[in-house]
Amino acid sequence: MPIPAAVTTFRNAAEDGLRTVLVVDDEPTARMALASRLKRLGYRVIEAGDGKAGLEALRRERPDLTILDWMMPEMDGPSFCEQVRQDPELLSSQILMMTSHDRPEQIAEGLARGADDFLSKAASKYEITARVQAGMRTATLIQRLEDVTEQIRRKQEVLERELQSAAHYVESLLPAPGTLLPGVQMVHAYRPSLGLGGDLFNVVPWSEDVMGLYLLDASGHGVSSALRSASFSTFLRRGNLLHHVGSNDPGAILTEANKQFPLTEDGNYFTIIFARLDVRARTLSYATAGHNGALLHRRSGEVRWMTKPNLPLGFDPSTTYLMEELPIGSDDRLYLLSDGLYEVPASNGELWGQDRLEQTVRTFGHRPLAEVVSGTIAEAIRWQGHEHFPDDVAMMGVELTEMVSHE
Amino acid sequence: MSERLHHDSVFSLEEALARVDDDRETFQMMIELFMEHGPKDLADAQAAVGAGNAAGVARSSHRLKGAILQFCAPAALQACKALEESAKAGNLAHGERLYAALELEFHRLLAALRQARD
Repeated sequence: MPIPAAVTTFRNAAEDGLRTVLVVDDEPTARMALASRLKRLGYRVIEAGDGKAGLEALRRERPDLTILDWMMPEMDGPSFCEQVRQDPELLSSQILMMTSHDRPEQIAEGLARGADDFLSKAASKYEITARVQAGMRTATLIQRLEDVTEQIRRKQEVLERELQSAAHYVESLLPAPGTLLPGVQMVHAYRPSLGLGGDLFNVVPWSEDVMGLYLLDASGHGVSSALRSASFSTFLRRGNLLHHVGSNDPGAILTEANKQFPLTEDGNYFTIIFARLDVRARTLSYATAGHNGALLHRRSGEVRWMTKPNLPLGFDPSTTYLMEELPIGSDDRLYLLSDGLYEVPASNGELWGQDRLEQTVRTFGHRPLAEVVSGTIAEAIRWQGHEHFPDDVAMMGVELTEMVSHE
Repeated sequence: MSERLHHDSVFSLEEALARVDDDRETFQMMIELFMEHGPKDLADAQAAVGAGNAAGVARSSHRLKGAILQFCAPAALQACKALEESAKAGNLAHGERLYAALELEFHRLLAALRQARD
């Protein structure tokens, strides 16, 4: 009788649908006995005469279950298991190890090195059947788990691509840094927490001397917040404001926005600061709705927070938001920022806070505006100890480099 | 297939056939395989005993044991186990004697299987 080939498939590989068992044993008589039992149980059987051929068959055929002998020349059963567990493609394979070892420490060694279960070489046909069926049940569950994991991974990829696309759209809404009006420079930083943020800021050109600036913060994170912010930014376009509000008065704009954007069913809302910069009149007018992230850093060194205790938008449709007006001068700087910047927690939970943020701005003084904005963000990162902000972070810095004379 | 040795103490035909669900064709093929490979394993064991190679003795006797188990042959199995365990313990002081016992039982089994096959 010819010696069986190193690997023999007893049924046509095209017989898909059959559960497959790989038997790896260097002793041909025992291997044939086991293979014939498995075939009678209705399995497709692949045989391998040594560990190396067994690994090749495992990679090629991906059987549902592998039954292998512990003691084989060159590559024994535990070494086979270790190789399988180190291979990302094979590591979930179900392995039943045949052994005449029955000492607990040997069983423990086999399990530690990667076997899933054991089968005594002297096992009855009933035990063989039961062990194989148990192994098949596990293999089926693992296969289902892998299938579902793969489905989730594919769906996640699609979602992430869509999120990236949406994030690009949101970023396209942001203004380009640079000269906004003659003598007015702007830089900004934008760090959404989830790749897609709910914070938005922009510029509304009113005339050659007057412009609007706003920074809004949608409660929550992610897609829903970003969509609501994008919708709000559409409302805040010049033409729309002129049509619905009929004025560039920040207080009137927020009063109207408060009516247009009530609390959502989920209780989500906006906070916002809307400012109007008139370079000819040398005034900065502003109104806020539940937003505390705005400060004016004057050339003299004075820092003034532009805060006012009032409701965010959407809480009470009868709320009237009033405008404040401040004089401004050359080299004064306006910073609009989201609360996510100064509410970053350190590892012990302590927040960075407005005082530390203010001190950072003071320390940077009148160094180049871009350096102040990037340095402030860096300081917040240093405080929290990592790069990932838990909330959306936006900061817009506006500097009046020279004043237009109104004479 | 003759069943004259069914009552012999060398191996239990009934039990051996039961292990393969009374599939006589498979059983006959197993006998052929054993007759082909068993003597080689036995010769390997003998050579390893002569060379004082305990690992080699353990390897050869382990293979033989796997085959003998299929035939439900208690005396041959016991002789094989004794040689394997002694070799695994690294002790070949009684290697010649244990091998001789195995050789005797092996040939008895081979003869019984040949009769069963014919």
